[in-house]
Amino acid sequence: MIRTVQLRPITRSLLRVSGFRSISLTQTRSYSHAPPLTKEIITERIIELLESYNKVKPGTVIDYSSSFHKDLGLDSFDTVEVIMEIEYEFSITIPDSDADSLKTVGQAVEYIAQQPDAC
Amino acid sequence: MVLKAKPLKFSGLQKEVLSLYRSCLRATRNKPIEKRQHWVNFIHGEFGKYRSIPKRDFSAIEHLLRLGRRRMDMYASPLITDVN
Repeated sequence: MIRTVQLRPITRSLLRVSGFRSISLTQTRSYSHAPPLTKEIITERIIELLESYNKVKPGTVIDYSSSFHKDLGLDSFDTVEVIMEIEYEFSITIPDSDADSLKTVGQAVEYIAQQPDAC
Repeated sequence: MVLKAKPLKFSGLQKEVLSLYRSCLRATRNKPIEKRQHWVNFIHGEFGKYRSIPKRDFSAIEHLLRLGRRRMDMYASPLITDVN
């Protein structure tokens, strides 16, 4: 997909004011589609993130049904951190009320899958 | 509002503590990236100090919450970039 991004007129006039010559700036960016965000991919990314988290003991088997607290031995503070890393990973913000209810890998996957702007 | 019965349900006060913890960690995102680990360690340490407080000690926790919020607001200032 090729998308042409043209600077809006207001930006151009700003450039002119700040001493730039009036030039027509056209940026072209080409990029391919990101792979669609399937539940398998989400699970894989979350598990990878958890494996690299230093409070999870190396060698712990993490799967879809793992609970942050029971299976991975994380306390509530660590869970908050994990959820924040997940937010960062998928570029979304999870409101507090939802974040407190995510307790297993599976719940997190389902939640991310429901978010239209997760990527 | 119907609350779903779930194991490990947090009390209101616990939620407030977690929410403060979350906002503290969010605030570190505005700090320079190379100093971020210092901030995270600092936050761990500050919360860790009071881990042993019994969860029924409401007035102590409420006091610490107020203190924590004020300190967070202070540290969130963009003028403060690093902490030790």
